[in-house]
Amino acid sequence: MTRRVVVTGIGCVTPIGSTIQQLQANLYAGRIGVGRLSLFDATHFPVRIAAEVRDWDVSHVGEDPTRWQKCPRQTTFAIGAGLQAARHAGIDDTQIDASRFGVYLGCGEPFEDFSSFTASIHNSRQGGIAKTDHSTLHALRLFDPDTNREHEPDMPAMHLAEILNAQGPVLNCISACVSSTQAIGEAARMIRQNEVDVMLCGGAHSTIHPFGVTGFQRLSALSTRNDNPQAAVRPFDADRDGFVIGEGAATFIIEELEHARRRGAEILGELTGYGSAQDAYRVTDSHPEGRGTTTALQRALASARLNPEDIDYINAHGTGTILNDRVETLAIKQAFGTHAWKVPVSSTKSMLGHATTACGAIELAVCLFSLQSGVIPPTVNHEKPDPQCDLDYVPRNARELHCRHVLSNNIGFGGQNAALIVSQFHESSNAASRRSRAA
Amino acid sequence: MAELRLRDAAKFLRIVVTGIGVVSPVGRTAAAFWHSLMSNRDAAGSAAYGSVRQSCAPVAAAEFTGRIDDFCDLPAGKRKAIQKSLKLMNRETQMGVAAGQQALEDSGLLAAYDPGRTGICFGAENFAVMAEDFQAGVQACSGDNGFNSDRWGQDGIPEVAPLWLLKCLPNMPACHLAILNDLRGPGNTITQRDVAANMAVAEACRIIRDGDADAMVVGATGTALTCVNQCTIAVDLDIADSHNDVCRPFDKFRRGSVPGEGAGAIVLEEMHSALQRGASIYGEILGAASASCIGQDRSVACRNGLANAMRQTLQRADLLSEQIGHIHAHGLGTVTSDIAEAQAIRQVFGESADRIPVVVAKSHLGNAGAGSGILELIASLLALRNGHLFPVLNFNEPDPMCPVRPVRNCNDAAGSSFLNLNMFGRGLASCVAAGVFRG
Repeated sequence: MTRRVVVTGIGCVTPIGSTIQQLQANLYAGRIGVGRLSLFDATHFPVRIAAEVRDWDVSHVGEDPTRWQKCPRQTTFAIGAGLQAARHAGIDDTQIDASRFGVYLGCGEPFEDFSSFTASIHNSRQGGIAKTDHSTLHALRLFDPDTNREHEPDMPAMHLAEILNAQGPVLNCISACVSSTQAIGEAARMIRQNEVDVMLCGGAHSTIHPFGVTGFQRLSALSTRNDNPQAAVRPFDADRDGFVIGEGAATFIIEELEHARRRGAEILGELTGYGSAQDAYRVTDSHPEGRGTTTALQRALASARLNPEDIDYINAHGTGTILNDRVETLAIKQAFGTHAWKVPVSSTKSMLGHATTACGAIELAVCLFSLQSGVIPPTVNHEKPDPQCDLDYVPRNARELHCRHVLSNNIGFGGQNAALIVSQFHESSNAASRRSRAA
Repeated sequence: MAELRLRDAAKFLRIVVTGIGVVSPVGRTAAAFWHSLMSNRDAAGSAAYGSVRQSCAPVAAAEFTGRIDDFCDLPAGKRKAIQKSLKLMNRETQMGVAAGQQALEDSGLLAAYDPGRTGICFGAENFAVMAEDFQAGVQACSGDNGFNSDRWGQDGIPEVAPLWLLKCLPNMPACHLAILNDLRGPGNTITQRDVAANMAVAEACRIIRDGDADAMVVGATGTALTCVNQCTIAVDLDIADSHNDVCRPFDKFRRGSVPGEGAGAIVLEEMHSALQRGASIYGEILGAASASCIGQDRSVACRNGLANAMRQTLQRADLLSEQIGHIHAHGLGTVTSDIAEAQAIRQVFGESADRIPVVVAKSHLGNAGAGSGILELIASLLALRNGHLFPVLNFNEPDPMCPVRPVRNCNDAAGSSFLNLNMFGRGLASCVAAGVFRG
């Protein structure tokens, strides 16, 4: 028998809401989380805006902040979202076999302490040239080893495994902006192949850091609408000029259907489709015809045994860069055919900013909200149509729409692509209902 | 019914290894690597890459300088393409690409393959930001009063190379290999430190078993030699505390681990497609499992986690403990890690642990972080092919606390199957079972 995978818990920490209720309400109200960058002094930076998680710390989920003070922001976000998801799903030790409970996250690269790093380079210069060896010796004196250890990308997953007593596999993957999408897809695969029964999966990240702004700015990826932060992310709009760095986390408890039933868990949706593909084109930009994105969408549909017209809503990657939005639109057309013009597509990055490795997880939460509420979120700031982006992007306002199946798509640097499909839960699976319809 | 039969068949899909590639401190080809493992010499004493740490004797893959000539024998077109991308690759990526390319050339897969059904899964660590990438920026912001961080936004950022950020993404080895070889199947990178390689093998096998790819390039790359990694391992692993000390796994007088670097890669294929194209087969992957090591007492947690991972692997591989010809231990060479590991082996194998030979490539190579696991798997695959094992270096005095049998010479038989173990203290234990392929 095919093992089915259902979602029984959701948790999130985002710039527009750090509970699922708050996030959902703000998404449907079109509230924008972008503002002046405040996490470090960016006064003289070319980019001075970001979508920050404000007025939240780990005490909101009952954790002692001093325990987490040496951790990067993404770790506290992951702990916040992870504990919310576990509580939402109502999992506890008496109900699950700890050895069949694992964690798979897509947390990103936390950067070194910028001032220690630059100081170590400065101190090691001889005749204007920084000597790597000397810089290392200086850095060893300047860096705090415990802080450094916490800056490994696998640490959020490790901490959550420890807190939740997950004794099965614990993983973190990094595949740029599709990391958490793949973490969820691969975690579901582990359940389907009967290696585990329950997984905590998702991702967290923050690149609101001097290194992050430096890197993305040099790649010309960022919006420079410093004077009007709320209008900066304009996915699929003719005047879009780049993305805004965001941050946050979303995690899910996913489990095998019978396991969820046995413990009487509420089923929030079924993970029915997952597709992953590589452009194999360039590390810098997507294939101009969206080759990998198209394939990932097709693979997600095929694995869910669904046709394009079965999909009622697409949550796009929609970063708001010139290239992404054009290529993604093209890929949706290639994968969905004529249905591409009928299915609503929106980018919630217009409100959330771009949470990099965590964006796929946050956007899957958005998709699950739509299955439950019958409302799809808008693309805010979508005002002036771009002839190359001619789909229904749900401009400005949220829309009521009953959704049976929704798809979340993500695209990452290096030519990484991944898509997930979540469906309303029904007793008979997509495959079974397709068979009965055919008969 | 057709669907059910397909699923059942998938359960019995067999996965074989058809290519091997190596970049290590003891050789940058598989042949040189094996020759060195058999020759009783370790890599200590070779020059350190990039940095020096006073308290240990790091080992670098000194023969691999990153110049195009150090990659394997390549067709002219590929050589040109790699050369063009070299400036976008940091050290770990260069080593990973070299190993992956070797494995692909060795497998002969590229002569006839379906790009869409060929994927890649790599293991890697957080890539440290390198001093040389920031020295021009720091210089531009430095005056008589030292480094002025207020100037970074204006004067520093423009001095950073436009594509710098892409050098720091851990998914780059996989992305470059996908681009160089047109691999459009699923692609992912697992960032789980010392256990990343075993986890990547397990994930690739799941993908092939699901029918999502016919072939997967699996590799891992890592270094413990960059400054940030040294800061991290200084707290996580006890480093051999004398400047000239060596890695002495399971020896009574072992004093710690020795930082190293390296990369390895293998090509995994579904058995039928490998046989159909007449591939030469190194061995078969029989099973894999992992378990978290959580709990107050780290030694107990590691012992139990590793024992659980081994038991599950044996079960999934349908192997009896007496069928195991040898064990490739993690063999970090620290006091506590080796005890936990030896006792885990004892827990699973009982009295047979007196008989089963244990090998440790780390005694030759040092600890290459994420790169270690795959090099160890490759060493054991080469032992299967050659029929006999290589010695554990520096093992002189058995430790009664480590009741296992490290191999002392080149005469012990490799047997027909083995377990490859990897673990790290705050965390995770993993195991992969592989064996001689019998059609």
